Parts: sequence; C-alpha cells; structure tokens
Amino acid sequence: MGNAVAIIGTGQTRHGRRTDVCYPDLVREAVTAALEDAGITLNDIDGVVLGTMPSMMEGVSSTHFYFAEAMGSLGKPVLKVETCGSTGQSIGHCGFFWVASGMADIVLVVGSEKMSEGDGQATMTTVFDPFFQRTFAAGAPGVFTMQSMEWMYRFGIPEEKGREAAALISVSNHDNAMDNPHAHIRMRVTMEEVKNARVITYPVRLLDVCPASDGACAVVFASQKATRKIGRKPAWIRGLGFRGEEFFYGESDKAVWMSATEAAGEAYRQAGIRDPLKELDVAEIYNPFTYQEMIFYECFGFCPRGEAPDYVLKGTFRKGGELPCDPSGGTLCTNPIGATGLIRLAEAALQVTGKAGERQVEGAKLALSHAMGGVDQFNGVTIVGSTL
Amino acid sequence: MQKVAITHVAQSSGMESRESLMDFTYRVNREILDKAGLKRQDVGCIIAGSADIFHSGLSCANAFDWDGIGAFLKEGSRAEESAFSFIYGCMRILSGRYDTVLVTALVKGSENPDNDPITSFYGDPFYLRPTGINESVVAAMQMRQYMERYGVTEEQCAGVAVKNLGNALFNPCADRKRRVSIEDVMNSERIYDPLKALECAPKSDGVVAVLLASEKRAKKLTKKPVWLAGYGCSMDHFHPGDRDLLKGRLPEAAKRAYVMAGVGRSGKEIDVAEVCEPYAFQELLWCEQLGFCGEGKGGKWFDSGASRMDGALPVNPSGGVLATNPYPARGLYRIAEAALQIRGEAGEHQVGKPVRTALAHSTHGFGGQCHSVVILSA
Repeated sequence: MGNAVAIIGTGQTRHGRRTDVCYPDLVREAVTAALEDAGITLNDIDGVVLGTMPSMMEGVSSTHFYFAEAMGSLGKPVLKVETCGSTGQSIGHCGFFWVASGMADIVLVVGSEKMSEGDGQATMTTVFDPFFQRTFAAGAPGVFTMQSMEWMYRFGIPEEKGREAAALISVSNHDNAMDNPHAHIRMRVTMEEVKNARVITYPVRLLDVCPASDGACAVVFASQKATRKIGRKPAWIRGLGFRGEEFFYGESDKAVWMSATEAAGEAYRQAGIRDPLKELDVAEIYNPFTYQEMIFYECFGFCPRGEAPDYVLKGTFRKGGELPCDPSGGTLCTNPIGATGLIRLAEAALQVTGKAGERQVEGAKLALSHAMGGVDQFNGVTIVGSTL
Repeated sequence: MQKVAITHVAQSSGMESRESLMDFTYRVNREILDKAGLKRQDVGCIIAGSADIFHSGLSCANAFDWDGIGAFLKEGSRAEESAFSFIYGCMRILSGRYDTVLVTALVKGSENPDNDPITSFYGDPFYLRPTGINESVVAAMQMRQYMERYGVTEEQCAGVAVKNLGNALFNPCADRKRRVSIEDVMNSERIYDPLKALECAPKSDGVVAVLLASEKRAKKLTKKPVWLAGYGCSMDHFHPGDRDLLKGRLPEAAKRAYVMAGVGRSGKEIDVAEVCEPYAFQELLWCEQLGFCGEGKGGKWFDSGASRMDGALPVNPSGGVLATNPYPARGLYRIAEAALQIRGEAGEHQVGKPVRTALAHSTHGFGGQCHSVVILSA
C-alpha cells in the first residue's frame, strides 16, 4: 500500500540544561548530527518539517521562522505540525507522508524544546480551556496522577503493588539512561529512594516524574529509491497510527484510554502484528510518569488489562526481559517535550539498525515508538523494522 | 502518481460569530459532510489548521479543535498554518493510504488581541521584539521601499483596497464590505506610515473546510472535482535585516508550483488568482513575483484593470484578505475560493470568464516570510 519510506539518519543533541547554546543553535546541533548520520548535505533535503511545544512555552510564535537557518530550511518548502506532547510522533508521521506522497524524496524532520527558558507547567495549564477546566488544573502531574488512581481503582490494583512496580520502572529507566550518552538524568536510584522521594501529587513522587530538559532531535526520511542510492542501513516505517479523544478530561475513560489503544491497534494492523509482546523486540514508550507507563503496556497489548504491575515485577520489560522497554532511559530521564516523541522514534530506528551502542537490544528487528500529548488526549505510535 | 481533488467546500462568514469556537467549527464541518453525503466515520483522516495560544487563548490548539472537527478517535493531525494543513491533507491522499481527508481551518479573531501584538511574537525576545516590530511595521517598511524603488504610487496601492473591498460586496462570507474611494483610503488613519487603516486587513472570525479525495473516490463524490495541479512553498530568513524585502521567496515557491502544474510563469494560463494580501500594496508586489507582470510593474498592471473582476486575470474576486482575515485560516479560504471559481459556484463574485485553472496563495510572517502557492485545475 503506497510508497515505502525509511529513516536513514538520526541526530540528537546532548540533552539536559543547555545554557551553553541559544535555542536555534540547539536545533542546529541535532540537524548537523542527523545529516552526518545519513551521509547527506542540506542540498539533498527536499523539505523540512518542524514541531515544538506551543508558543507560550517557546516565548516565540511560529518557531519555523525562528529556526529557519538552524534547520536549513532557507529556500525550501516547510511544514509546521504540532499536537502537544505527541508532536514528536506527529512530525514523524508528516515526514513519512511527505515522502510517501511522492512529493519529496528526502525530508528532514526536526523536533526541539528548550525547557529551561520557558515555564512548562504554566504552559500546560493553558491547554485547558479558560472557563471550565483551567481553574483546577495544575499542569501535567495533577491530571496524570488522577489517571493513575483511576486505573488502579478500576482494576483493583493494590496501592502497594502499584507503588512497587512504578518504583521498579524508575530504577530500570535510570539504569538504562546510564548507557545513553544523550540522556539528561544519568544517575542510579534505588527502590527505597524512589518510594521515599518527595511527593509531587500523590501517589507520584519526584523520581516517578521526568525532568524538564533542553534538547533537539532530527530524523531524515527517505524514499525507497533515495535509500538505495544513499546506501545507509535503513529503518523502514512499518506502521503508524494517531488518535485523539475528547477535549474535556472527564468525558473519556482514561483507565482504558482508547486513543492509546487504537493508535497502537492501527499501527499493528499496518505492520501485520498480532501478538505485540512476542513480535516486537523493543519499545520506546513516552513515559513522563512511571504509573502511566504501565497503562501504556496494557493499551498496547503487551499484557492484559490490570496486570501490568505483575509483568513489570516479573521483569518482562527490563533489559534482558521478553520485551525491553525504554532502553534509552526513556522520557523519564530526558524530556525536551517537542523533541521527545521524535527521540522515541529515533531510538527505535537506532535499535533496528543496530546503531544503539551500549543501549542496543541484541538482534532487535522490530521496534515500537510512541508519544502522548494534550490533557491525556492524544497518542501516536510508529513501528519501524529492519526489513520492509 | 496519484491525483487528489477538492470535492466539496464549506466556509463560515468572516464576521464576528456568536457561537463558541467549538460550535462554530462543528457547524461548518457538519455542513461539508452533509454536502458530501458522508458521516464523519466515512472520512479517512482529518487535519486541522489552527494556531495556538495567541490566536485562541489555548496552548496546543489541536486539543480544543479535536471535537469540533469531528476527529474523535480518528486518524488526524494539525498543522499550524492552513495552507500547510491543506498540503498535508493532499499528501495523505497521494500516499495512497487514504481515500478521503477533511481539512478544516479555524479561528475566532474576535476573541483575541489585535494582529499586531500577536505577530510581534514572530520576533525573538532579545534582538527583534524590543524594537517594537510586528507584521504591520515590516509591511510599512516594505511598502516604502516598494514605492521608492519602482515608483509605484500611494494611490495605486490604495486602489487595491478600493477594488477588493468592492469585490467583497458580492461575497456573502466577507467580513469588511464597504464601497470606498481612493480618497477614503488615502484619508483613513495612518497606522504605520505609509500604511493607512483601509489598506490593512481586519481581524476576522472564520472556519473553512475542504474535503479532499483520491481520483477514484472524487469521481463518485462529485461531478465537479477540482484537482490539485501544483504546489510550491519556500522559506525566507528569520531576521528582516537579512532580507531584501522586495526580493523574497515567492518567485521560488511559484516556480515550484508552475513546474509541477506544467503551466508557464507568465500567468497567461491562470484564469483567476486568490492572493493573500493583508496589506493592499502586497497584492501588487505578489502579482509581480507570481509572474503576472514584470518587476516593478505591479502599479501599471493594476492600472490596466487586468486584476479587476472583469479583467484578464481577476485577482481576489472574493475581496481577499483585506476584506476577511481569519489569520491562521486565511490560506485555506484562498484555496476554497479558488476551487469555487473553478466549479462556477462562487455566486455573485463568480468571474465573468470561464475558469479552468486557478491560483491560491498564502503567506504568513513578516513581509512574506514564508509563501505557499497552490494551483488548482478543472
């Protein structure tokens, strides 16, 4: 169905608090790395897609202007796509469709965020409408915590079991980040430290939550013809899905989370995946909060509903487990929001091309990447494989 | 290569709407689906075109857009400018993965601050914004340069406002409709010298939707499909000081569209054009850069009457952006109007001659920082 599209290069900045560079320079760092990885120059690029968080976060509106030079888009066609936290996946999808449409051979996709210069939580509070929801919203943690509690209550998960599994996710993610030279938070934590960390919004504690990072990511998408010509090992796009649900938080069931379930379902249909736990080799899940990661496991069909904590405690999703999740350390250790979903895709591509270095999952051939956005409203999934 | 067609169009009036943005959006989407005889479940994918916080009071505008555009649990996305959302919708069809895509652009300008404070945020906070820069300031500089370099007169620029606001009298969706004279324009308040109030676009509400379909599906959905023939886009420098404001990227964007459509650069094969002119003189400058007349000849070409409703190449028979300016949606309005002209369904502002090929142009940013050109054909 349609034209085949591959990822032939990825580039990431060193993520963290980057006071050493201005915002456009941060973008340039990722773009330069991606072009180098793909073995091409800006002249080879037919179009550029950009995505960031909204203007309030950036302090500049329409950032495709601000980054015009940095992302090498002078005199080129551009597209600016934004869907909140899921932006990283949405711009990846846009890069895919631009190439798949036949309107371009090679498209550069760029996602970025300089969180240290903005106010992430204030910005996220303005995603809520000003009349009904904004007055009680307290940034992202308030909502995500409500969702965690709803999920545990719905499936009768004892609080202690949920706590134990969430802590293990935090420990494994932090361990994984030690293998990732791009990661923001690189430190080992113990189960006790996670369980005793300062409460952010109960039951979520400091070590259950992602940092606010500066960082950018760039990914090069190419047609089959261009991929063959350039000759780099490609990660083929095998399936993609994006779904959103109602704007008003209370209108949908966040314990079952249809947008996450159906986005993955769509991607699986396209990739011909029936049993994701067996067939996928690795998954890069957008997990700004440990508890949410477990809801994603269930929505993505990695385990039955309500059983994610059991699977987590068995080690199914740890390094060496049946389906290693977030070998990069995930969003929990690095979160430059506009780039995060694209970093997930870049990491998945690195895995299936065997270029993930210390964090490589041996023999990975099929990988899932994901991002979530809005007030728990949007989910995007992309599956990449080492073969078409 | 696949083909993609516009099969249906729906648009709201540009005047202040009393509905909430969600209801306002829903009504236009309902209308286009009813026209096509489709339910939202039948549409393959939905793309929104909207801008966030400054244009809506909400960050991540797609979150609020989602219900009104009918995208609940459907495949979809959002682009920040409506010409972007249109071409992204086309790409989805051309990829062969979707038969139908609904593209909807939306904004309620009446609920937001004026355009100038909003556009000042295009500038970075360190070097540009402290100078008091905004879209109108740059446009005024551009207009002054344009008149001085080419001898285009202030009256010729004012004439564009007279023509377009006059055309708007025949467009039921137009926001600002007034029969004005050159004197009225010349005597209206000077906003930023030499720009006068009547030469600057208003701030409008607007929801506009186009339904796109693959070749096979389009022929089933309508007797009058309007085909995408060409598309071009090009991006300019960030700092206005790095640019020659009179030699922007529009010729490059237009060339790409003309090559893809297989039409000549002279504009002879274009029957009608909907050009994005938030400032009156820009219509003259853009017409030059689209190749309708020679460099610096925009004023003379205008005086020849070529761009009038009954001229050789009517420009903005809808009244253009000078009459209706729902900022992030205005590009898709141009595309929708161009499609209506080809279908012969523009009503009282239908141009007199047969229309087989139409051009729609969109720009945003300071003085034409990014241009998109779309060519549609019967």
